Amino acid sequence: MVAVLQKRTIRDFDWLIAVLAIGIVCFGAWQIHNAQPTETYWQKQLIGLGIALVAMLGIAFTDYRRLVELAPFLYIFGLLLLVIVLIPHVGMKINGQRCWIKLPIAGQFQPSEFVKIPVVLMLARYFGKHRTGGLTRKEFLVGCTILALPIGLILLEPDLGQAITYVPLLAVILFLSSVRMWMVVAVLVACIVGAPLAYTVGVKTGLLHGYKLERINVILDPENADKRGFGYHTWQSIVTVGEGGLTGARGSEYSQSSLKFLPEPHTDFIFSVTAETTGFVGCLLLLASYGFLLTRLINDARRSRDRTGMLVIMAIVGGLIFQIFINVGMALGMLPVIGVPLPLMSAGLSSVLATFIAIGFAISVQLRRFVN
Amino acid sequence: MKFVDDSQNLRVRLRLIQAAALLMLSVLGVRLYMLQIVNGAHYSEIAENQRIRLLPILAPRGVILDRNGSVLVDSRPIYSVILSREVTKKIDYSLIKPFADGLQIDAEILKEHFDQAAASPAFESILIKEGVTQADISWVDAHQLEYPTLRIEQTPQRRYPENGLLCHVLGYVGEISPEQLNKPEYRDKGYKPGDVIGQGGVEAVYDEYLRGREGYRKVIVDSRGHIQSEVERVEPQSGQDIVITIDLDLQKAAEEQLRKSPQGRGVVIAMDPNNGEILAMASAPTFDPNLFSQRITTKEGRAEFQKLLNHPDHPLLNRAIHGRYPPGSTWKPLMATAGLKQGAISIDNSNLVCGGGITIGNKFTRCMGGNHGSPNVHIAIEKSCDGYFYRLGLKMKLEGIQAMVDMFDLDKRTGIDLPHEVVSITPSRELKAKQTPKDPEWKDIDTVYSSFGQGQDVLTPMALLRAHSAIGMKGHMFVPHLLKEVHAIGAVGYDPIKNAPIFPERAAHGFEHQAPKDLRLPPDQSDVVVQAMWAVVNEAGTATGIKLAGFDIAGKTGTAQVVSLGKEGSEHKDHSWFVSYAPAYKPEISVVALIENAGLGSRFGAPAVRAMYDVYYAKTRGAKDAGNNIAMEIR
Repeated sequence: MVAVLQKRTIRDFDWLIAVLAIGIVCFGAWQIHNAQPTETYWQKQLIGLGIALVAMLGIAFTDYRRLVELAPFLYIFGLLLLVIVLIPHVGMKINGQRCWIKLPIAGQFQPSEFVKIPVVLMLARYFGKHRTGGLTRKEFLVGCTILALPIGLILLEPDLGQAITYVPLLAVILFLSSVRMWMVVAVLVACIVGAPLAYTVGVKTGLLHGYKLERINVILDPENADKRGFGYHTWQSIVTVGEGGLTGARGSEYSQSSLKFLPEPHTDFIFSVTAETTGFVGCLLLLASYGFLLTRLINDARRSRDRTGMLVIMAIVGGLIFQIFINVGMALGMLPVIGVPLPLMSAGLSSVLATFIAIGFAISVQLRRFVN
Repeated sequence: MKFVDDSQNLRVRLRLIQAAALLMLSVLGVRLYMLQIVNGAHYSEIAENQRIRLLPILAPRGVILDRNGSVLVDSRPIYSVILSREVTKKIDYSLIKPFADGLQIDAEILKEHFDQAAASPAFESILIKEGVTQADISWVDAHQLEYPTLRIEQTPQRRYPENGLLCHVLGYVGEISPEQLNKPEYRDKGYKPGDVIGQGGVEAVYDEYLRGREGYRKVIVDSRGHIQSEVERVEPQSGQDIVITIDLDLQKAAEEQLRKSPQGRGVVIAMDPNNGEILAMASAPTFDPNLFSQRITTKEGRAEFQKLLNHPDHPLLNRAIHGRYPPGSTWKPLMATAGLKQGAISIDNSNLVCGGGITIGNKFTRCMGGNHGSPNVHIAIEKSCDGYFYRLGLKMKLEGIQAMVDMFDLDKRTGIDLPHEVVSITPSRELKAKQTPKDPEWKDIDTVYSSFGQGQDVLTPMALLRAHSAIGMKGHMFVPHLLKEVHAIGAVGYDPIKNAPIFPERAAHGFEHQAPKDLRLPPDQSDVVVQAMWAVVNEAGTATGIKLAGFDIAGKTGTAQVVSLGKEGSEHKDHSWFVSYAPAYKPEISVVALIENAGLGSRFGAPAVRAMYDVYYAKTRGAKDAGNNIAMEIR
């Protein structure tokens, strides 16, 4: 029995996803090295990859249904972590945000990265039951509540960037739970019309001013924005990306990041570093890898044996594409600067570990597509 | 789909999510294409520009030497604290306080520097402190981590002689002002903000030669302006050394005479009448040019400058070319020369009545020297007879006096190579009408006053000396000048692209003399005047006290009345003139002295001039033979 399982496991295991994810992390570690050649971040990232692989395999070979059963406990445990991180002296304050817990051996970790997983499981558990009709108001409110608790706690840190990455988890699940199509369209239209309207009204009424206005203006017109003020990050990132050209800037000895023109090059702006060193070719390759990974995950979701598994994978997909778009969009000067890491690329154990755990779930779902 | 789901079109919704994801990635790809492929070159340039900086290496200015090779002005290296400007950030005014405290600088002055830098986007660095001490350097070293953009740089600083020696001739250097930068004559020469340029005297006039060519260091900096490495270095080319016509010994003697004068105010100029070379030019009181090159960036220096500006004696003025004085009796030889040339008098018949004075209308103007009877022109000059010249003036009329003015170029600048020379004032109907609108008509009494140097004639000492020198030179009048020669400076650096030095050699050259103005004086006429001026010193004239055995001085005393007369040494005493050349029949040197508010020309001006001749005589004829047997103390 064990032998049969082993054989089938090895056959059905989605190696491609794992290989893609590992490949991106290794590529990322190279960019982290480019960003901070004198620091040890890239080595830590590879160690993190090792830990993440173990975690991924552990999750992959565990039946996700059992973990979904445990979702309420994991969820409460997650909320507890988010409360603990707010306690002074326990939670570490960096740049005015209290979002790290210091552990004796493992170093620091960021609960808000991990709590996404219990939230996904919790949502999948609630919405994973067999559906017979459209989304009810009660379902919608329960979903919102599951999301609101962690988001509220994260906003207390305050970490707006992490908080908004929770939103697509629910959005995808609602979308796949028979929310009416006209509502989806209405929300999209509201966003498309609302954003410029809000900007105009904000500027006219003076509600939007100071650094918030600057951060938006630099996106609308980077050449004429206040490049030395609040537009600095965006402007330098645009310059760094542009400098990369087709195949990357030569003479990397004095890159934008090593001369410290580009801030946070190994975390939030790792994509800009990639653009500078590998150029358009490298960036397209990276984006294609992400596209391939996401397509593969969606295919796995499609072949999932039950709704719960499908929702787990799709929520993860939603979270990933949203983070990729926000982070890269920010690096390319299309979106305001928000501290969202680029999955699998940005230096940081918490982010890598959480992403691999998520991938582990996807593989677990995919592995059990024939099991009854 | 493995599970049954009839509640929704799930398959379509999954496709939609997949499409949305790929669309988002495509949007990012398009944006990447715009930034990297379409505008890549543009951003490369921006990135390059923000990490490459050209840091200037200041070139020392050329040395200024006197005619005998003594160094008058040079540059010495000093250390300054410089703050690199961070390209990527705004100027941080919060740095003013720690810098002011740490380096003992005035916060207000520092703020000015910051404001200046903030106002011009091209500014690379801000000067924090000049001429720093060892303690300052240690302070900067100790705070490298805190203020990585601070650095110490070696810069050349101009050093002028002590005690204001030759200050009016040398001028001074200072930072180019915003007003100057707006003027095309400065802009076209490629001056830029922060440049230190000649701001007065020879420093300004010959700035083009004295200026070096700035070198630079091409460096890579990080976002905080910290230098990472040097890519290229071009050494500066020093400025060209110039030799001026000044003789330091004569200059020192001239200044000494002025220092000893009753008011400490006056002018002494010595010139070679054969070519216009200025041998000495002293104006008192003096100032210290080092103030402008060394201390003007300190609070104390500014106060010192304000004091100079507001000083009642105007020490910044070069009285030789900026001061105008009634010539008094020194006007007479010029009148005599013109009178002879115009035919108002002749060599054979030059006698005119003195009569102790003259009555014009109902007003009697007396001759200061008493009654000289009917002297000829020789006696009239020798004795300085006013009555004679009243009548000569009336014979020549205003037009004759004006022709004289025109002959000696007294209504023009002498053309000396110093900035802002003023033009002497000379008699005219227009001037009279302007000065006294209630009595605008030119009258005979005006002619009388104008003919003995107390009317509308107000001359610069330089113009007066030039005119008298021309008499001594039998009508050849030279343009006075200070430049003697410009030394060459070798080429610096090598540009492989042009296959030429970066800064080519700058050639040596001498002063380009203009042809002297020929006054067309008949030699016998000029001899009459020269003989009379010789007699002033060597016969029974007004300045016999300065006679120098073996050296024929020809000269003329003058006592210029100042508006109202008062006590000895007070503000309203007469200016004391003496103008001369020697040896009388083959002049080598001409000297003028004007001692302000001192009294008679013979008592103050003449001895000052004699002191100059003593030095000259000692230098050219050997010290032992100097006419020690003649008492120069005649007070």
